[in-house]
Amino acid sequence: MELYVAALGFGLVSMSVIAIAAVGFTMQFGITNMINLAYGEVMISSAYVAYYLNKAGISIWIGMVGGALFGAVFSFLLNRIVYAPFLRKGTSHIGMVIVSLAVSLMMANVLLPIVGYYSVSYQDTTGGLLRAGGIVLTTNQIVIIGLAVVLMLGIHGLLRYTRLGKAMRATAANPTLARNCGIPTQRVVDAVWLITGALCGLAGVIAAMNSDSFAIANGAGFLITALAAAVLGGAGQSYGAMIGAVIIGIVTELSAAAWAPEYKEVVAFGILVAVMVLRPQGLLAKRGALAAAG
Amino acid sequence: MSDSLTHVEARPAPSLQAHGITSGYGGVPVIRDVSISVGPREVVAVIGPNGAGKSTLLKSLVGILRLNSGRIVLGEDDVTGKPPEELARRGVGYVPQVNDIFEPLTVLENLEMGGYLLKPAQVKARVTEVGAVFPQLPPMLKRRADKLSGGERKMLAIARVLMLDPKVLILDEPTANLSPKLADSLLKEHVRRLAALGKAVLIVEQRARAALQVADWTSVLVSGSVRLEGPPTELLQREDFEELFLGAGTDLAASKDTNMEEA
Repeated sequence: MELYVAALGFGLVSMSVIAIAAVGFTMQFGITNMINLAYGEVMISSAYVAYYLNKAGISIWIGMVGGALFGAVFSFLLNRIVYAPFLRKGTSHIGMVIVSLAVSLMMANVLLPIVGYYSVSYQDTTGGLLRAGGIVLTTNQIVIIGLAVVLMLGIHGLLRYTRLGKAMRATAANPTLARNCGIPTQRVVDAVWLITGALCGLAGVIAAMNSDSFAIANGAGFLITALAAAVLGGAGQSYGAMIGAVIIGIVTELSAAAWAPEYKEVVAFGILVAVMVLRPQGLLAKRGALAAAG
Repeated sequence: MSDSLTHVEARPAPSLQAHGITSGYGGVPVIRDVSISVGPREVVAVIGPNGAGKSTLLKSLVGILRLNSGRIVLGEDDVTGKPPEELARRGVGYVPQVNDIFEPLTVLENLEMGGYLLKPAQVKARVTEVGAVFPQLPPMLKRRADKLSGGERKMLAIARVLMLDPKVLILDEPTANLSPKLADSLLKEHVRRLAALGKAVLIVEQRARAALQVADWTSVLVSGSVRLEGPPTELLQREDFEELFLGAGTDLAASKDTNMEEA
């Protein structure tokens, strides 16, 4: 029993990491219609940016900001230089998926000679341990959970209450009509890539922090987990991705406790396959952050 | 005698004019060499059978479709090739036939997006003003737009475009999907009133007879070209008017106000 209570604690941390990653991923799809399979590689690249900053003696929290900035700028440029020109040429949806897959492979292979095969880890004090009823967490993990909560509330506030956020939802719902309203949809899309890229970079650093060590090969796993949470919640639905993250986070940690930690990604993928069979539209197909409250 | 009829009264100086525009999809023209204009306080109706290119004409006028040839002039300025957001900024409002609102957004958010180009401080006051034009809307500002009825939805679509107080209003079959009674009140009350406010109103209508009742000027579009134009009273007097429609497969007699059109 204690084992499961402890797993619940890890589940809280996992769902925080997954939520940040999945919301970024699902917003990219929901607003720009782009299934960006390079997302996991951008996450791991950002984790390495933070790693090198950290190695140079900079605090990992500053390194985290560096990783987020890298993710934002890289994703913005990726769209401007690679995706947008293909879209302008009228490349099909599946064509764009292949393009993003190609970007993902290129990134992994460019990164490999730079960072090497070996697993690395951040130099940071994990902080003291905090115990609450059978749940044991480090202060770092508490900060990660807090950060996730703040970010989710921030995304909610952005989409619901700001002019830019509403323009993002309008652009997602009906891009032609948005242009007819005078909304500069190009700039809105740029903002989406910057914001989701920052979430992606941040999620990469946090995910790396949360595992004892990380390596280049982890990018694919990051992608699968984010993808599973996003699809579970209903592709393109920000609130759906948050709910998907909660479910995937808890279930994978409980399965790790009951079974073996090595199978976490298998379980995540299993949930994804089950959703595809049982409810292909996802949990929140009709409502979510991209929609208004009912 | 040319197909252009003699003018009964002088038309106002045009706010928006298309000069010999040819456009379509993927380089294949749907409309050919179409010229049309609309001025302040004027309702110009474009009528014609299904597939005549009416929607294509409107999409070309508002910058959604690129022209193969021809020119579009707004006031004194050549706006040929300008994107939709620029035309919106310059006072052209467009209500498409379908996808005319942001469905997942609330009624209020739809209006806010309509007023995106306004200063944020002005938006609230403008929502109140537009709400006065369509009194059905203010009580439902918090409702999701896809929960509205057909009539409410079209009111919202028009209210959304009024947020920027456009000089030129372009409406693509606003009465499609509306009950005959609603369609009638939309055309006779709202469309006429918008023109009375000084706007140039260009409207595409499939119910030819209803359109002729509210329009000051009518263009008949058949197979992508303007076949006939003039004041409605003169058009109705022409012997070949019904023939044009009948020949093109639309029974004008059947498109009385009582006939509910399909989308």
